[in-house]
Amino acid sequence: MDIAFTQAHHDFRAEIREWLERHVPKDRLPSLDTAEGFKLHRQWEGVLAKDKWGNVNWPEEYGGRGLDLTHWLIFEEEYYRADAPLRVSQNGIFLLAPTIMEYGTPEQKARFLPPMASGEEIWAQAWSEPGAGSDMAAIRTKAVRDGDHYVINGQKTWSSRAVFADWCFALVRTEEGSERHKGLSKILLPLDSPGLTRRPIAQLDGETGFAELFFDDVRVPAENLLGPEHGGWGVAMATAGFERGLLLRSPARFQEAAARLVRLYRDNKDRLSSGVGEQVLQAWMNAERFCAATYQLIARVQAGASVNSEASANKIFWSEMDRHLHRTAMTIMGAKAELESGLDAIDNGRWLDGYMFSLAGPIYAGTNEIQRNILAERVLGLPRK
Amino acid sequence: MDFRFTQDQQDLIDGAKEFFLGENTVERMRKIASGETVDNLWPQFAKLGFLGLMAPESAGGLEQPLVVMAGVAEAAGYAGLSEPYLEIAGISVPHADEDELSGQIRRAMRSDLRPYFDASLSDDGDAVNSIDPLRNLVKADRGNDDSLDNINHHGAVLTAAQLVGLAHRMVDMSVDYAKDRHQFGKPIGSFQAIKHQLANVLTQIEFTRPMVHLAAIQGGRAVHTAKVAAIDTAMLAAETAIQVHGGMGYTFEVDLHLFMKRAWALCGEWGDRNYHMKKLEETVLHGQEPLGAGTTFS
Repeated sequence: MDIAFTQAHHDFRAEIREWLERHVPKDRLPSLDTAEGFKLHRQWEGVLAKDKWGNVNWPEEYGGRGLDLTHWLIFEEEYYRADAPLRVSQNGIFLLAPTIMEYGTPEQKARFLPPMASGEEIWAQAWSEPGAGSDMAAIRTKAVRDGDHYVINGQKTWSSRAVFADWCFALVRTEEGSERHKGLSKILLPLDSPGLTRRPIAQLDGETGFAELFFDDVRVPAENLLGPEHGGWGVAMATAGFERGLLLRSPARFQEAAARLVRLYRDNKDRLSSGVGEQVLQAWMNAERFCAATYQLIARVQAGASVNSEASANKIFWSEMDRHLHRTAMTIMGAKAELESGLDAIDNGRWLDGYMFSLAGPIYAGTNEIQRNILAERVLGLPRK
Repeated sequence: MDFRFTQDQQDLIDGAKEFFLGENTVERMRKIASGETVDNLWPQFAKLGFLGLMAPESAGGLEQPLVVMAGVAEAAGYAGLSEPYLEIAGISVPHADEDELSGQIRRAMRSDLRPYFDASLSDDGDAVNSIDPLRNLVKADRGNDDSLDNINHHGAVLTAAQLVGLAHRMVDMSVDYAKDRHQFGKPIGSFQAIKHQLANVLTQIEFTRPMVHLAAIQGGRAVHTAKVAAIDTAMLAAETAIQVHGGMGYTFEVDLHLFMKRAWALCGEWGDRNYHMKKLEETVLHGQEPLGAGTTFS
């Protein structure tokens, strides 16, 4: 067991730190769930990509630096330390890209990865349906083969950033008469395809974070099938593993939030009841534990292990840690907790935003109830029925 | 940077686990609890090299780092080992001088954080009565102060590791019971009310073990975090396990209590929750140490 960074790691950290100091916008960008904020976040992706900082662990030919995941963790640590903008391309770069690299044809890799890296094409996920939430195998949206095209009909929902994004990766039923996990396929398509209607859904914070998608005879070239036809469930689960497990939520995000929470505690401690410090420490310890576990997981992945059902424990841990951390901040702020912005609002309402977003964590990427079922049945071996 | 056990280290830990489980069966634990004489494991500890795991190679040891001993301690916890093997091999041996290593060490390192220890490791001290029927304790004279020196570092890490092992064992026992026990015509383990509770414990275990490994290597505030996390995880495991076992878990007859009581006991050993939380209050809430991303591994 070795936990020392190499000289190359240290040099890399110094380089990205220096770059971020020069490039991170001085003021926080407007929310990426607004039209203006989305545009600015997309531009920021371009700034990152220009100097090859967007995806350091990608192969060089697709705009990365070909570095290992330890470098990626270091990048994330410096990125959050610098309080750099959220990644508007996260569905693409963290969820879809690993799947394209694993299942994509050479043509698909060359077509989709470079514009994803540069921010020219921002991706949304189109999996959930009104009748297929936790029970994702109940997907009904159909894609029927018609010559060298698929024709898609149906409805998707909770598609994050789909209002402003360019492309989506959809999970649809391609095999006529198939049921449950069988007969599904993963298809990539532009969100401005004829016959595709996007209806914005306002989130808890009032912004249009996600959309409903209505498919009415939407024609998609058959070459946009990702992975095996009718084998989409396996492809989707690979994405879900990344989403729950690893790339989407690196420890740095929570460690920086925990450090800010400690500062918030120090600023307010004279008026706090005695139990609050314990909660602050609990949040900080959780972030440390998440960091240690992630470094261990990355070591295993780099040695060739794959992230399977244990990714469910990851998702439960980070989402509940995040909610607890932000609730503790709300407790500390007291009467000011409700202030969104302006006079007396602490940190311009950032904790409130964070708290609202943290409430989504135990729901998206597979509810925590589903994750607990997965752990109980596939890791512990408890009976399904 | 490769935060994993090497294959050799993992083999050693797996070997220890197999040995502990093979020798320290529940039947053996019950004999000890009822005062019967059992096989002495110490000659085997010595013969198999477990005693010298951390001793220098020059003294015939394997010179393994504390983190490997933590892996072995987790196995000892899982097996419910009651011999003070970790006290000797993980704390006394690494802190012994050359003369002591050439003989047979049977002396516990004393610390303010360890008020009671195994009676076999001391010639003096008054007997105290533990709820754990396998712990035969005396009240120790106080030793070093309560700073996180080497001795206390080893003690806290190895105790935390045992707690992880105990938590894991209690989950496994609960899973076995929940598969076997039927109500409403089904195994109770098919009910989400049971599944989700056990999944919660598993999640806590998975996010405590790496922290214990980090604490072993790094010392400092990681040790306090690891011990607190291990205490909370083991207590959650124990309370969940007894709930899953229902009335059977409340009996002396079912084996769960042997592991549950060990967990209760180890929570207070080598720094209780209050001690470690107070240290974190000093260093994290009110201290000057850097916090945030990039400060955990450096």
